[in-house]
Amino acid sequence: MTRLTRRSVLALSGAGALALMLRPATAQAGAWQRLDAARELVGDATPTDGIELELPLVSENGAAVPLSFRVERALDDADPVETVHLFAPSNPDPLIAVFHFSPLAGRADVATRVRLNESQTVIAIARTASGEVMVGEREVRVTTTGCLMVDDTYESANVFQTRLRAPGSVSTGEPGKVLSMINHPMETGLRTNSSGETLPKRIIERVEATMGGEPVLTAELNRSVSANPYLRFFVAPTQSGTLELVWTEDTGETVEASAEISVG
Amino acid sequence: MITRRNMLALGAAAFVAPLAMPNILRAQGSAGRVVIVGGGFGGATAAKYIKRRNPDIDVTLIEAQERFYTCPFSNLYLGGLREFESIGHSYEELTGEYGVNLVTALAEDVDGDAHTVTLSNGETVEYDKLILSPGIDINWGALEGYDEAAAELAPHAWKAGAQTQLLRRQLEEMEDGGLFVLSAPADPFRCPPGPYERVSLVAHYFKEHKPNSKILILDSKDAFSKQGLFTAGWQSLYGDTIEWVGLSDDGRVVRVDAEALEVETEFGMVHRANVLNVVPPQKAGFIAERAGVTNEGGWVPIKASTFESRQVADIHVIGDAAIASPMPKSGFCANTQGKVAAAAIVASLAGNEAPAASWTNTCYSLIGPDYGISVVGVYEAVDDEVVQVEGSGGVSPADADADFRLREAQYAVGWYDAIANDTWGTVPA
Repeated sequence: MTRLTRRSVLALSGAGALALMLRPATAQAGAWQRLDAARELVGDATPTDGIELELPLVSENGAAVPLSFRVERALDDADPVETVHLFAPSNPDPLIAVFHFSPLAGRADVATRVRLNESQTVIAIARTASGEVMVGEREVRVTTTGCLMVDDTYESANVFQTRLRAPGSVSTGEPGKVLSMINHPMETGLRTNSSGETLPKRIIERVEATMGGEPVLTAELNRSVSANPYLRFFVAPTQSGTLELVWTEDTGETVEASAEISVG
Repeated sequence: MITRRNMLALGAAAFVAPLAMPNILRAQGSAGRVVIVGGGFGGATAAKYIKRRNPDIDVTLIEAQERFYTCPFSNLYLGGLREFESIGHSYEELTGEYGVNLVTALAEDVDGDAHTVTLSNGETVEYDKLILSPGIDINWGALEGYDEAAAELAPHAWKAGAQTQLLRRQLEEMEDGGLFVLSAPADPFRCPPGPYERVSLVAHYFKEHKPNSKILILDSKDAFSKQGLFTAGWQSLYGDTIEWVGLSDDGRVVRVDAEALEVETEFGMVHRANVLNVVPPQKAGFIAERAGVTNEGGWVPIKASTFESRQVADIHVIGDAAIASPMPKSGFCANTQGKVAAAAIVASLAGNEAPAASWTNTCYSLIGPDYGISVVGVYEAVDDEVVQVEGSGGVSPADADADFRLREAQYAVGWYDAIANDTWGTVPA
């Protein structure tokens, strides 16, 4: 949010200007109320703002906009957050992704990169086990610089190459940061090639992280996730073991990667 | 004096009073006082164009350096194609021909309420309108291990001057067969094609003097300016000398060890360089922060039609410090933004509306001395945001022949001479 200094407050003369400055604030805009899927998800609940959604105010490349969210409430709370839905209402397919958390994830704190077709308000909706709902919103202006003329998808030469970085050791119950990425075009099914033919949809639709066979995080990805899906999340293991990641393509093909984490 | 800001604050009952006020101002022998901080493409242009439009306005330019060295064409110096002094410019035309007051000092603080700027020499300067054209500062601390001491070993060379000369010395001292590593930042940053032109001209230098040397670009982005043109140009002039690794192939540098000339990427790859050039994350020049005009990202939100700050009245911010996207952070953009701010201020001081704003930008990049490429854009203000005019601009054709590339390289030199002349009055040698 725009910082309001004493100096700038004094310099402002009208209420209109003040309102303008506060515009990028989260939640209050209520963009979720204009999206059917989001309204359905909220249902009868009265949403609170316990989820913090971060995106740049201005993005110069709509093909890969960094996004992160963090739920304040810990996952070992009596009523922990179970799912977080992300929406880009002005994209052709508004649902970006759904994340399912288990207490082993330590905290509902994820970073990824998303596609934004145009300037819009991105929405994050968290639901707890008991049905409590939290909403975070963030307005993003998408521009393309005059010096940046690109195809909208990064083509890696190494499709299905995975990368995983996890802490070698963590203290008991202490969340450790995990980085993961897979090279994949995340073809939307909406693009055409140079001869005008539509390129068929082909996406990674699921990433599952388990620790010693127990679920940590499951991410259902949709086509608004950027090419080469990147996920930063946390794991809070109670005993040493193997962190396993499985990426599933919509063809059914799967790829795996793993890392040992010792707890001490 | 009565500014638009005060008038709004006075309310309807006081409407008659302001009519008498301009006489007081005239009695001081001035059509208004404009202070400009920063004598680069934006600030020097604004100073000149205010004086051209109304010589009675008192214009003071505050700049810490006696000569200004441009980032544009600093890559030609790094590639051994130019002498360093050829990218230096003085303020003689502004002071001699246009009567601009030049103060060689660092602007240290701004008080937007009192309308004053405090300088490093202890002076305080009053303004009716302030233009900040401070360029960028390095966002020290945004990249682990990269601080001012590290930059003496692994230069950024992203502000032309001693850093640029240090990098050139390191390239000259490097043994043939060495590896030059450049770490490129995520958007937004100064001069989007800059890192890629830089490696091109370093490759040219290697080809002539150190043919067994290699270049690695580690990038925090998956896409960069004029990418297809650069990639094709690298292939045709330098074969496999230049390797580019994008964000999605683990190109993002997260830690720098300047002593060891090593960088570590996000997923833990360590690359060791013989010469390491870290183009780090950036933010608006610090005086913008002191003036209270920056946002949480460290850049300055502006009203497009005048480039006045959205946060503090009577302060206009132009050039790399401003959020003008989709206009890139380029010297050409700063120059045209300087003209728009000048026109808006001249109009405002005379009690008139600002004229409709429009801007152009051309970024030439050299891939080799005889191989130029370019991108052009035309911009206008819509709802006080900058937008690119539909259908305007474009990039050099992908399939152009050698003669076309040669002519673009010549146009690049013509562009530099012309804009240096427009901005500082410099006449090419």
